[in-house]
Amino acid sequence: MNHWLNHHAQAFKLVLTRMRQNTLSSLLISLVIGVAMCIPALFYVGVDNLSTLTHHMQNDNEISLFLKLDVSSENIEQIEQLLSKHPNIQKHRLVTKEEAWQQLQAKSDTNPAIQELSKNPLPDAFFIQANKVEPEALDSLRLEMQAIEGVDQAVFNADWTKRLAVLLALGEKIIYFVAALLAIALLVIIGNTVRMQILTQKDEIEVSKLIGATNSFIRMPFLYAGVLYGAFGALFAIVMMASIIMIFNHSVAQLSDLYSSDFRLTIFDSKLFLSMTGIAIFIGWLGSYIAVNRAISAMKID
Amino acid sequence: MIQFDHVTKRYPGSNEALKNVSLNIEAGEFVFVTGHSGAGKSTLLKLIAAIERPTGGTVLIANQNISKLKSNAIPYMRRRFGLIFQDHKLLYDRNCFENVMLPLRINGIFGTEAAKRSRAALDKVGLLHKEKAMPITLSGGEQQRLAIARAVVGRPSILIADEPTGNLDAVYAADIMSIFQAFHQVGVTVIVATHDATGISATQRRVLHINQGELHSNEVIQAADHTQNSGYPI
Repeated sequence: MNHWLNHHAQAFKLVLTRMRQNTLSSLLISLVIGVAMCIPALFYVGVDNLSTLTHHMQNDNEISLFLKLDVSSENIEQIEQLLSKHPNIQKHRLVTKEEAWQQLQAKSDTNPAIQELSKNPLPDAFFIQANKVEPEALDSLRLEMQAIEGVDQAVFNADWTKRLAVLLALGEKIIYFVAALLAIALLVIIGNTVRMQILTQKDEIEVSKLIGATNSFIRMPFLYAGVLYGAFGALFAIVMMASIIMIFNHSVAQLSDLYSSDFRLTIFDSKLFLSMTGIAIFIGWLGSYIAVNRAISAMKID
Repeated sequence: MIQFDHVTKRYPGSNEALKNVSLNIEAGEFVFVTGHSGAGKSTLLKLIAAIERPTGGTVLIANQNISKLKSNAIPYMRRRFGLIFQDHKLLYDRNCFENVMLPLRINGIFGTEAAKRSRAALDKVGLLHKEKAMPITLSGGEQQRLAIARAVVGRPSILIADEPTGNLDAVYAADIMSIFQAFHQVGVTVIVATHDATGISATQRRVLHINQGELHSNEVIQAADHTQNSGYPI
């Protein structure tokens, strides 16, 4: 056990020394890994945050009924009775055109266009809270509402969020493919870097094999090099991501304040950071493992 | 210790490098392998050191059949040998001390114990004062002595040298031979390949003469001297 630990410690020390001797190239390769990881991770953060936002909205099972402009007050009463008896409607709320007009005018100090309006363009409206959340049930309810006399439009409030959610799901798929492609590129880059290092250590490997080094002894420093490249690359990626998100959040804050939302992009997603580090280390290890195994078998000392 | 039984070695795309060689080297022997360049000396040494496997016949090292050894057992077999190559195979990116440390690192020996043994090995070949020097700054003879230090630092029971004096003048060559002699004195089996047979008669050892892959003579020059030197405990 002690012996085994010693072997690992020695290999690790050796790699650190070699890296310190080639600080610039080690930094560059880590930077490449960092950038390659940063791109899909950033997109992931964007899509993930938007998904949680729309997911939250999607749970709204609200339908808005906009009545025709010329609807009579008797008609409104009829509709209200119909709604209160309906088994699938949890609650409903009437907002008359006058109330809506007042609300709008209260906000008009922020929007000069509203002040320009001379007469009330708004219809009477019912806001219905259904007691079902399934899209099919909601849709049939919406159609039913649409058919009521005096109703101009029955609209899902969350309609656009559904479309966005579909788009985001598509975006997520694209991210996975981009990430997979970049992972392959990283594998090649790391493999190639390690291969170059093996070439510079060729004499040592050859002599070591001749005097009785096992393959794992020869592999170990290169595997550690790959793992360290991955780890440093992930560190770069995380730092870059955090700073980019922070810059973005400034604009996002301005935007979501306009919608009176406190939506912000999450900067420290520990799960994402952990999986990024894990993936980077694994890719580093695998890339160097393939490279060093190929190199050992190419030397034909067996 | 080392037994060859009808051993044949053929490299792909060439003639047989060794043909039907049978021999037996006892523990503690000092053996010369002679022959022209390309006669098969290096192949013989590589077979002994488990660097190559025979195409035909059996090679037994310490009663273990090299052909049947699993590839993950080969490295441990190689650690029994101290190898000295014709081209030294020193590592020029590190100093003498670190060159000698390499086999110890492979063996999992670290720290003060490793440093102590490395210095002892350098001392044996008279290079202790050059431990911090880079190999490239050493003379040919010194480089060969450094290679010997690296070969013996792991305390092998068998020392194998391929043309250790090939590029050296007579004074250095005698110097190297006397170092081998010293290791033989303490019971190490020494096998030395050389293309020039001069100087062997003076040391009076067993000579394996190889010609075009065949073992021609397997005799002991002055048998009395051989028996006197064999039988050291390993």
